[in-house]
Amino acid sequence: MAIFTRRKFLQASGAGLAGILASHQAPVFAQQSTVHWIKWNDFVPASDELLRKTILPEAMKQLGMKINLETVNGNDLQPRVTSAIQSGSGPDVFMLFNNHPHLYAASAVDISDVAEAIGSAQGGYYKLCRSNTNDGKKFMSVPWAIIGGMIAYRKSWFEEVGYSKFPATWQEYHEAGKKLKAKGRPIGQTLGHTFGDAPTFSYPYLWSWGGKEVDEKGRVVLDSKATVESVKFMQAFWKDAHDEGGLAWDDTNNNRAFLSGTICATLNGASIYIESLRKPDQYKTEKGAPLKSDILHSPLPKGPAGQFGMHTFQSHMVPSYSKNQKGAKEFLKWIHDPKNFDAWFLSQKGFATPTTQVWEKHKMWDEDPVMAPFKVAGRLGLTPGYAGPANRKAAEVLTKYIITDMYAKAVQGMAPEAAVKWAAEEVNKVYAGT
Amino acid sequence: MIEGARWKKWLWFYLPMGLFILGLLFPFYWMLVTTVRPDGEMYRPWNHPLYSPFWTTHPTFDHIKNLLYETLFNRWMWNTMFIAMVATLISLFCGVIAGYALARLRFKWAGFLGTGIFVTYLVPQTLLFIPLADIIREYHIGDTPWALILTYPTFLIPFCTWLMMGYFKAIPKELEECARIDGAARWQAMVYIIFPIAVPGILSAGIFAFTLSWNEFIYALVFLSSPEQKTVPVGVVSELIRGDVFFWGPLMAGALIGSVPVAIVYSFFVEHYVAGMTGSVKG
Amino acid sequence: MLEREGALAFWLLAPTLALLTLFIAYPFVRGVWLSVTNSVVGVPGDFVGMKNFTKIFDDSIFRTAALNTFIYTAVTTVFKLALGLWLALLLNRSFRGKSWVRAFILLPFIIPTVLSTLAWKWMFDPTFSVFNWLFWKLSIINSRINWLGDPELAMSSVMIVNVWRGVPFYAISLLAGLQTINPDLHEAAAIDGANRFQRFWHVTWPLLLPVTMVVVLFSIIQTFADFQLVYVLTGGGPANATHLFATYAYQIGIGTGLLSEGAAISLAMFPALLLVVVFQLWYIRRVENR
Repeated sequence: MAIFTRRKFLQASGAGLAGILASHQAPVFAQQSTVHWIKWNDFVPASDELLRKTILPEAMKQLGMKINLETVNGNDLQPRVTSAIQSGSGPDVFMLFNNHPHLYAASAVDISDVAEAIGSAQGGYYKLCRSNTNDGKKFMSVPWAIIGGMIAYRKSWFEEVGYSKFPATWQEYHEAGKKLKAKGRPIGQTLGHTFGDAPTFSYPYLWSWGGKEVDEKGRVVLDSKATVESVKFMQAFWKDAHDEGGLAWDDTNNNRAFLSGTICATLNGASIYIESLRKPDQYKTEKGAPLKSDILHSPLPKGPAGQFGMHTFQSHMVPSYSKNQKGAKEFLKWIHDPKNFDAWFLSQKGFATPTTQVWEKHKMWDEDPVMAPFKVAGRLGLTPGYAGPANRKAAEVLTKYIITDMYAKAVQGMAPEAAVKWAAEEVNKVYAGT
Repeated sequence: MIEGARWKKWLWFYLPMGLFILGLLFPFYWMLVTTVRPDGEMYRPWNHPLYSPFWTTHPTFDHIKNLLYETLFNRWMWNTMFIAMVATLISLFCGVIAGYALARLRFKWAGFLGTGIFVTYLVPQTLLFIPLADIIREYHIGDTPWALILTYPTFLIPFCTWLMMGYFKAIPKELEECARIDGAARWQAMVYIIFPIAVPGILSAGIFAFTLSWNEFIYALVFLSSPEQKTVPVGVVSELIRGDVFFWGPLMAGALIGSVPVAIVYSFFVEHYVAGMTGSVKG
Repeated sequence: MLEREGALAFWLLAPTLALLTLFIAYPFVRGVWLSVTNSVVGVPGDFVGMKNFTKIFDDSIFRTAALNTFIYTAVTTVFKLALGLWLALLLNRSFRGKSWVRAFILLPFIIPTVLSTLAWKWMFDPTFSVFNWLFWKLSIINSRINWLGDPELAMSSVMIVNVWRGVPFYAISLLAGLQTINPDLHEAAAIDGANRFQRFWHVTWPLLLPVTMVVVLFSIIQTFADFQLVYVLTGGGPANATHLFATYAYQIGIGTGLLSEGAAISLAMFPALLLVVVFQLWYIRRVENR
């Protein structure tokens, strides 16, 4: 047995530690630059595959850079971004949802040159793109895509209860849902803390009744008669027509429920329909026909104040800590070039709507009438914080799920006035802070 | 009466034991069935006439194949093993000698340091990981296994120290004194006499440390970014929950395969550990 | 003599102290600093004193999370102790296949929490739950149990998973403790006429107490700071019904980017935990010195 002295151990460990540190000092060598891109795990897996197998290798060839793509579960994307910014190292390009760019404005590289160029070359950005990515002075991120949210519904079931066209108003939707729930086919909607389906329902629902968080002057006006009306309606609507498990659903539960035939309608991106296209033999109606032939899409019904929509929005930001800002910008320019973006857009099959208007004319939209409603998602969508400016405070309200929770609390039994009051207080706290 | 005794045995022993085993192991059976169940069968609601949860008529290896060939699962297993083993060794080393110092040596700061080390165990990881991210970056070990290997001991060492202190305290002082009388230096007595007796304790502390490392999530999620560097928990959750679709098949396959090797190693050591414990009582 | 002991002690403790200082003490101080500033992600922020703390104590969700954490810890600990002890007593007997059983029942504790929790999430799924099927077949229910969607039930579901995970740990640790108890003591008590229950209460339990207290102590610390389980199973929902300190701190700090508030919430955990731990340590010392 070797004699093991304290001194020898300390020497060894000291040397070892130094060795560790030394080996991980990144040596500065002249090499091709690298761009680390992080995005969510696409709800259309085929697109990520296309990126990895075709598009990115092509980019690497043409730009002479190495591009590392990392995909993360959507819910984990924001934590990664926050910790990357805090620790000052990480990806060079990261994807952000909705109005989150406002939260990270201080750490973003001014990317107006890239964004403006793309916008003007492609027929201009939609209004909601600007509000999400531009703070009035500069572009914080480059708009990437809009994930249109529509109600996917079972055509035959609605016809059975007397609706040959999708219900046009909330009252009609309530009636139809009530009849369908009685047949064991409720509407399915999540009121949980999801970044996709829950806010894209609760916000436009609120707006369609006339309620809003703030008015044009930026004053908090959430506590209003219109809001209380919307909450009251929601309580009855939920009980009579919805699958009450929806409180615990995340963004995937409604997909699975719909595809297995337990719900008649749900607000979602196009992923349900696309999945049914992907596996026509697996997803069938109870009569044996392929499910895809029984799915149609419709925007949300009208409320007393109109018809609204809010769509999950994605953009890419280059953080100021990035050591390869030039490469990152080059890459973004390249991938938004219609030649290169086209292939990606096609693989999405309409799940994502591009952020510039020229794409509305693309012939892909004409191929499948079921997907037609998604074409104009960009034009009709609004951003959280309506009718005030889309800014950091609206982003905070969004990430705190205040609006969604207002409805969730009410359907669990809280009195409408109390729920609204609670939500208004929370929103006030956010807007009152710096 | 013989019959009466048997009835009693069934009621007081076999039945509760059976229930425990069922309750503790059913989720694993469920994992197993889901791993080999084809997708079409899996997604049937619970009140569907054809819902057959406990077996499947068309077992498939697709999910396992998917997991092993189309994801970086093998790499993640290797990463996790490596990180867990090295972190455990470091923690054991520090914990054993610290435990000895605090339990057997008399010096002024003993009580204070003992409490201090223990208090660090209370500091929640959700508080630490943002500042730690800065430190990790400053030492350039971000996105490498060393970020975890050096931070895991922060919650492993306190427990190892505490456990070892308990073991050392139970060893009679006479043993050391005998050795010292025979001319051994203090540290020689420590290494050659005391440590061998405390081996069961060291093993159990090691097992616990290994399990905790394997289990850790937050630090691994935050400090590692490249897919090749990830550990099993982070990799499975981030790569196999692709937005709208939880790939339950490969997910359960990953969960199952991810735990089998650890379980085997563990079971081997548990034997040793319990035998060691009973041995030390009799000896 | 004492000097030499002191020197040896220093060297023995040096690696531990170095690691803990660098990776806990120092970040802790920085974390405390964060909690008294108004940092948000990417912006260091200025000193604001106790403002973050008053803000969170005002926050109804924070109060819910705090209450939840206490209830969660208390209830699961009681169940884990009771069931773990029962299982340990059962395992203490000799029976065929004992070593296999002992090895297998540890599985819930070994498998990474994230993965086993996902399995439970699948079992609790509102549409596909196997439990619902089982109860339905047994005619116990008529319509679906909303395991994770009903606020009260969600908390219970989370606790079930925690207990499931923790019982093996309690059982094996207590088993080891049981096996250090000299069987002669039991024999003596039996000869004196004590029945099973009395033997347990007067012989087994007091001797087991030190091990029990240590196990309970560590379990409480881990459960109080629990993050992964709730995060995976419910994300804190439905409507914040299952938030714990750690998950809420994460949502605020990382989700919303309000780092300082998140740090304040994490820090708020600390005094409560310290109190619980101090009490237990005092109790252990008392037991040891008896």
